[in-house]
Amino acid sequence: MAFPAPGLEIHALHVQAGAFHLADVDLTVPAGRVLVVLGPSGAGKTVMLDSIAGFRRPIAGRIALGGSEITHRPPEERRIGVVFQSYALFPHLSVAENVRFGPRASGKDDPAAVRGVLERVGIAHLADRKPGTLSGGERQRVAVARALAIGPRLLLLDEPLSALDTPTRDDLRSGLRELLHGLGIPAVYVTHDQSEATLIGDDVAVLMGGRIRQMGTSADVLDRPVELAVARFLGLRTLGPLRLEAGNAVVGPPGRTLRVLRPPPIDGDTVACYRPSDVVLSPPSEGRAENTFDGDVVAVHAQGDVTRVEIAAPLAITAITLPRVARQLSLAPGTRIAVTLPPDALRIVRSA
Amino acid sequence: MAVRWRRGVFPAATWALAGLLLAFILVPLLRLGVATTPAALAAEAAQPDVRASIALTLKDAVISAALAVLLGVPLAYVLARRAFRGRSVLQAVVDLPLAVPHTVAGIALLLALGRNGWVGAPLQQLGVSFYGTEWGIVAAMLFVSVPFAVNSVRDAIEGLDPQLDHAARSLGATPWHAFRRVTLPLAARGIFTGAVLAYARSISEFGAVVILAYFPMTAPVKVYEEYLQNGLDRSAGAALLLLLVALSTFVVVRVAATGRFAR
Repeated sequence: MAFPAPGLEIHALHVQAGAFHLADVDLTVPAGRVLVVLGPSGAGKTVMLDSIAGFRRPIAGRIALGGSEITHRPPEERRIGVVFQSYALFPHLSVAENVRFGPRASGKDDPAAVRGVLERVGIAHLADRKPGTLSGGERQRVAVARALAIGPRLLLLDEPLSALDTPTRDDLRSGLRELLHGLGIPAVYVTHDQSEATLIGDDVAVLMGGRIRQMGTSADVLDRPVELAVARFLGLRTLGPLRLEAGNAVVGPPGRTLRVLRPPPIDGDTVACYRPSDVVLSPPSEGRAENTFDGDVVAVHAQGDVTRVEIAAPLAITAITLPRVARQLSLAPGTRIAVTLPPDALRIVRSA
Repeated sequence: MAVRWRRGVFPAATWALAGLLLAFILVPLLRLGVATTPAALAAEAAQPDVRASIALTLKDAVISAALAVLLGVPLAYVLARRAFRGRSVLQAVVDLPLAVPHTVAGIALLLALGRNGWVGAPLQQLGVSFYGTEWGIVAAMLFVSVPFAVNSVRDAIEGLDPQLDHAARSLGATPWHAFRRVTLPLAARGIFTGAVLAYARSISEFGAVVILAYFPMTAPVKVYEEYLQNGLDRSAGAALLLLLVALSTFVVVRVAATGRFAR
């Protein structure tokens, strides 16, 4: 295995921001990889980015980039490109002047290079426009172009798609993914949206309450949360505490238990969870698959692309299914339905 | 019908009271406008001491406004952007001249800047005297116009996204470069407004100026002297002349501002 190119290394970083404390952050982002920092509002995502960019002074810890420490360097000496949530384009400057700002500030003004960046991001035709006249998607591209124009050693992106409407966001997402992976530098991408984390991130760090709760490849973290708080944030529902019954790890009331595949060591803090989209609904008379029981639908909520179904007794279950499936099963309050939670779909997390 | 009637009363009462206040401002000025004949006004304008007092007022008001903005921008920046203990105390100090009666300000300034004052005595050694000089006039004007300059610039800087500054820094700009290339141009309109307000406040200052410097005579002091010596009718000419000069420069500057900085 090749030795990874030195990227961003953060060691035991502590940052105080008013009453908020970002505690003990340890992470590494090798060059060419994208780390998504995923967390709810107020988790400390922006505080973390501000510390990496140099806008906020940490109270302890170490930040290194490309093998050299930058913890106490001022932002203008770090050569870190930042794409802000609000984009923070300079409203008094044209698109080209915005992109040229960085090279000019560091005395490396090169009109040809600026032109190249504009073309690479696909906004050369907007060069003479003022930011105020641009659409949200165009502004986002200008913000990316401006950050790239300094030849950054690291790119930080703070919810760069959250200000956009859904169609624009869907359009820009895959383009952004390709761009980030083609840069050959590390990138840290902050978001609260797990679909962005899946699509854009190689690795995911879940940040909640000022602490990194879980870190790993995006597929692994999103599929296998280890903590209850993380599981809840990712949209998983809890079934209840796990226990041993006749050699099987099970969850649920006696006689109506569900078996869990590949259980971890069980103690008082292990809880079973599931993704509502993993729940299989079928007509009640069909043959018994494992972990299947009949229940009564109590509510059906259409949510655009998907339909959420609440089922009561013997276990309260939330299922997310396709509207087409909901129609085929004639789901409505009072409908009797067979609910299947496949053993391999159950996730075991720690509640403490 | 009762409801309709009540609906009609509120706007009518609002307009009536608003009109009353506007009339209160405009009627005296209009009365002043017809208090003298154009010929008398021209004669007044031809008097060398009247012309000199107006020229002096405009000149010192420009100096005072320039100083207020030059020294006010850093203070405004600190108040707008830095969070520190005692910031509200600092803001209160900036607003203090609004609450201090202007004759009181004049006496306080004279005590500090006079021959034996804390600041005045060392400056006297350097040949700078504030009593009865243009230094004194500018000092009095500056004291009363500082809040207008600082608050106007502070509002302008507070209205800017602090991320703009961060963006500039991340792109390699030093704090000074970021201030000059981003904050300053974006706050230009607020700075200009602050200068205009400080200028207008400086022109109209009487109480503090008259204590520090009765001579050389600024236009407000000249008007007061005419009133004391020659009575109401004779002073009206000088008063109207000062009003016209003050209003015309103010209007010119405002038009220039809206034309120059309009989107």
